[in-house]
Amino acid sequence: MNIEIIAQMVVSGALMGLVYALIAYGFQLTYATSKSINFGQGELVMLSAFFSLTLLNIGVPYWLMVPGGLLFGAALGLLVERAGVRLALQQKSEGWILLTIILGLLGFSSAENIWGRDDRPFPTPISSDALHVFGINITPLEISVAIGVFAIMGLVELFKRNTLLGKAFEAVSADRDAAELMGISATRTIMLSYGLSGMVAAMAGILISPITTVGPTMASALILKAFAVAVVAGLDSGFGVVLVGIVLGALESLTSFYIGSGWREAPGLVLLILALAVRPNGVFGKATIRKV
Amino acid sequence: MKKTLLATLLLGMFAAPAFAADAIKIAISGPFSGGSAPMGTSMRDGAKLAIAEINAAGGIKVGAKKLKIEVVERDDEGKNERGALVAQELASMDDLSGVIGTVNTGIALSGDKHLQEKGITKIITPAAGSASMTQWANKADKPGVKDLSIFRFAAHDGIQAAMVVEQAIKSKYDKVAILFDSTNYGASGRDDLIDQIKKQGNKIEVVATEKFNIGDKDMTAQLLRAKAGGAQAILIWGIGPELAAVANGLAKNGMKTPMIGGWTLSMSNFIDNAGKNGDGALMPQTFIEEAITPKAKSFIEGYHKTYNVDRIPSPVSAAQGYDAVYIFAAAVKQAQSTDTKKIKDALEDLKDPVKGVIATWHHPFNHWDPANVETHEAFRSGDTVMGMVSDGRVVFANQADRDRLKKNASK
Repeated sequence: MNIEIIAQMVVSGALMGLVYALIAYGFQLTYATSKSINFGQGELVMLSAFFSLTLLNIGVPYWLMVPGGLLFGAALGLLVERAGVRLALQQKSEGWILLTIILGLLGFSSAENIWGRDDRPFPTPISSDALHVFGINITPLEISVAIGVFAIMGLVELFKRNTLLGKAFEAVSADRDAAELMGISATRTIMLSYGLSGMVAAMAGILISPITTVGPTMASALILKAFAVAVVAGLDSGFGVVLVGIVLGALESLTSFYIGSGWREAPGLVLLILALAVRPNGVFGKATIRKV
Repeated sequence: MKKTLLATLLLGMFAAPAFAADAIKIAISGPFSGGSAPMGTSMRDGAKLAIAEINAAGGIKVGAKKLKIEVVERDDEGKNERGALVAQELASMDDLSGVIGTVNTGIALSGDKHLQEKGITKIITPAAGSASMTQWANKADKPGVKDLSIFRFAAHDGIQAAMVVEQAIKSKYDKVAILFDSTNYGASGRDDLIDQIKKQGNKIEVVATEKFNIGDKDMTAQLLRAKAGGAQAILIWGIGPELAAVANGLAKNGMKTPMIGGWTLSMSNFIDNAGKNGDGALMPQTFIEEAITPKAKSFIEGYHKTYNVDRIPSPVSAAQGYDAVYIFAAAVKQAQSTDTKKIKDALEDLKDPVKGVIATWHHPFNHWDPANVETHEAFRSGDTVMGMVSDGRVVFANQADRDRLKKNASK
């Protein structure tokens, strides 16, 4: 069929996929250090988006709102770590699963009570008028999403590689016990990873809000996709989530175009089942050898 | 001292139920939160405006006494299961005179059976889906109910779909795409549209029929299918947030295809979330927020002042809620009773015209006939006009309609 339409579907799907990838990246950050993930990550995305919208509404300029929102997200991440994860990890229990879900639910009801249940527009200075590039329509807003995703992921990766704290992060990810013997505090590093993960969630919220509007349920669909992306890509490959995110996004839009809009969610689920059956550690994941 | 206090308390306890019977208890139910909240809250606030006016004038004269209206509010959140619970609760209230409300067709389908069972009079407004009333009518496989306590005060989708298709034919479109949401409302809207295209002589070809879900934000696939088919217009049935996503998707894909659809295109959450991308959208309206008649002027000003807004979130819902209360009050007056069954009989045969903000209603309902749902439908296509979104508001799409309504009112 028409090549332009295929290209259009792939591009707009892939851009959506980048947001899945960014949220999935947030899962990876905490999994790397602590082997735990925040099941309430979607609520962090939503709460940070609401907070950023509030900043905008009280007159904070857009470019100042972004760091404000990111800090808020990081603070929420730290809160989740302190309240939901730390104790469970110390006791070597799986309690963090339930605790992070509960914290997420708490965040959801708080948002409903503070900001209401309605979807609200998120004003942005970036234009949403279509540009015509090689026969494909793309808006500056969508381009900003792509730039934002790569920028924040790039920054976090640079931080991990080039700073002392970042190296501690890598050390704990590689071998927690050995890192502790070297005098690196695993607890602090895990805190750091949750802070970073919250910041990444906030970035996702700020980037996606102008397109999707802000509301308590804004992230519930996103988070499932992000989870699929993280599992399919493997929980320790930053490059993998980007690739899988793009592929999943593009597949989704192609499916809804060719098979029907009701089948949109199908490829993600099929991919998830296939990945779990064929490569349980993810397509880009490392196989772990467990000594018994 | 203590004894008198006790006596007063006891007296109060006995006196309270007696007082309650001295009021007309009406329930208002609808979504006051969620995606269809602009319709629910506007309907509620419009209805309460009418109730406040009636109560301020001393109430309704029933027998020797003047009774005031007492309101029970219930939020169904626009969810079918919650709506069913609310209806069950209302059906179990013994002293309820009637119910006004319901925005979502799915809730009329899941909840109204409980009210009908108990014979509680209900005026549905503003839910427009055809199925809300046709569920009681004769069907091929089973006869409808003999006696119905459910009325509708809204331009049902049959009327609206007819107007939408007429508009498309008038604009000389010969290829259109139909987009609809996956709720009962969307699916029945799609059926009405296809039905109307057939009825109006098959002059239009439907090149794509596309579905979307509540909460969907990315409509690229649906829109590109419409574009690939060569659609000149998009006929659409959905609610505010998703309609806005479609309007934004059109702009994003550089499409200038006009949108024509159900009255929901006038919802504030469509207009606000679509911004300038929503301009030009056409939809049937029973009321436009423009002070063209003295009655409309006082209603609009009253609403703005009471609720401290400068735009009614859903003017149609507000005006329908307001008029529905006056029609209900007229039925109470005629029945000379707060008994819901007697009010139902009076509604089916209202003698005096009721002066509302939308129109003056002459005998809006008739005795229920399961072969003809129109007997319990107040609106005919003449009561409905085409509205258009322009610069954040809904205005008359055709100047002729505006002049006609103005003339009718001065008659």
